[in-house]
Amino acid sequence: MTSPTPPASGFRPGHVLPDLCLLAAMPLLVHSVYRVFMATPIEQSMGTAFKIFFFHVPMGWLCMLMALIAGIAAAVQLRRRSSAAAAVALAAAELGFVTGLGVLLTGPIWGNATWGKPWTGDARQVSTALLWLVIVAYLLLRHYGPRSSDRLAAALAIFGAVNVPIIYYAVKLWKTLHPSTGVVGTLPPDMWATFWPGFGGLLLVSLGLLGLRIRQLRLADELDAAWVQLEDPQR
Amino acid sequence: MRILRQALLLLRSELRQELRDFELLLTAGFFTVVLLAMFYLSFASLQARAHLSALPGLMWLTVAFVGVLTLTRVFDREREADTLRALLAAPIDRLAIYLAKSAMALSVLMICCAVLVPGLWLIFPAGQAFAELPGQTALLALLGCAGYVAIGTLFAAGLATGAGKNTLLFIILYPLTTPVLMYALVTTRALLDHDPALPDHLTRMFVLDIILFAAASLLFETVLVGAPARRPERPHRPGRPRGPAEPVHRDMSRETSS
Repeated sequence: MTSPTPPASGFRPGHVLPDLCLLAAMPLLVHSVYRVFMATPIEQSMGTAFKIFFFHVPMGWLCMLMALIAGIAAAVQLRRRSSAAAAVALAAAELGFVTGLGVLLTGPIWGNATWGKPWTGDARQVSTALLWLVIVAYLLLRHYGPRSSDRLAAALAIFGAVNVPIIYYAVKLWKTLHPSTGVVGTLPPDMWATFWPGFGGLLLVSLGLLGLRIRQLRLADELDAAWVQLEDPQR
Repeated sequence: MRILRQALLLLRSELRQELRDFELLLTAGFFTVVLLAMFYLSFASLQARAHLSALPGLMWLTVAFVGVLTLTRVFDREREADTLRALLAAPIDRLAIYLAKSAMALSVLMICCAVLVPGLWLIFPAGQAFAELPGQTALLALLGCAGYVAIGTLFAAGLATGAGKNTLLFIILYPLTTPVLMYALVTTRALLDHDPALPDHLTRMFVLDIILFAAASLLFETVLVGAPARRPERPHRPGRPRGPAEPVHRDMSRETSS
């Protein structure tokens, strides 16, 4: 009976990157939180509630980035039958779920303080909520779907990524109250200097967690393959 | 042309099967009537102004519910007789299978819309515009149902190839078909309001349908049977050193036999 091939050992630069991202994020996040609450002036029209902007907007961007990564990785998975791409898509979708949930929880708090009600059916609110629902559907399909559901889930991720601008435009035909995308560019320098380190910190945390989760999923795949080989050496 | 001919042959076979027992039409049609009755009991006592706002939602919610029932049933027949595998193994283009199944589901949905729209007009007088603009109403129903079917057929087929779990179609389909239903809602509201921009809305729906059909057609074969396997080793060319073979990434644990 042949023993399964042991995983390659030794130093791989790609394995250290997630840890480096997480390490680099720590000082940035501490600096960002200090600046948000101690060094940034209170916005005149929205008051203290505006501080949620420094967490809400980066999480919204990260959610869209993760959906995009999941969509691209799913396309590669379908095209090349790559289990590595499938792991990237799943890890990105899981992070998209977390960041999307963050956006959907912080958005109504900010909306309630600014517009007087937490949910207005605004274009960006609806499109974010639907993107999050697509991510949840993708995760459910990956975890509970039948044997061939990996390919189906990949198609779902691709459609999910394509759907976002379509949904956004459809809802915008009705009404929109949301600040325009150019709001970050019009921030005063103080707020601008607070926003980018916070976004950088959250981006590094997300990339670090993405790398760790991909590594974990790949290891699980290798374990499965080793188990199959051990049980049935003829395969 | 060859694909269209194959699709027509498959569609004819589907229709022949349906005409034997009318199972799909009767179940989907009856479900439409049940939904109409429930809408009547729930909303008939509301003000006429509220009816006008609610009608687009009621119409497209019905299409969404009946659509899932239809799509599930279209592929359940194949699953029960284990004929989808035979269809995939047959010397026909996979795109023809997609087109035939889509056309079948679309036909059933359009027949249900022929019950639904007059039903809504009879129950809610605010839907008078449906009777005043029959051509535009028919086009709206066709474009909305076509977009829904374009996505739905792909995912219903994907779930039909697996063992069981086709209930997941509900989870997948509703978030994904939201753009189509959103555009359909906007267009229905424009129709009910006699909005002069109605042709623009219908054009947008047409363009969206084209995009969805194109995307689903591209993905159909890959989702059902997977991309062609990559060659494990490149042929050796004289004069070039032979490098290590590229690894073939295969998801061994979850690979299907199809």
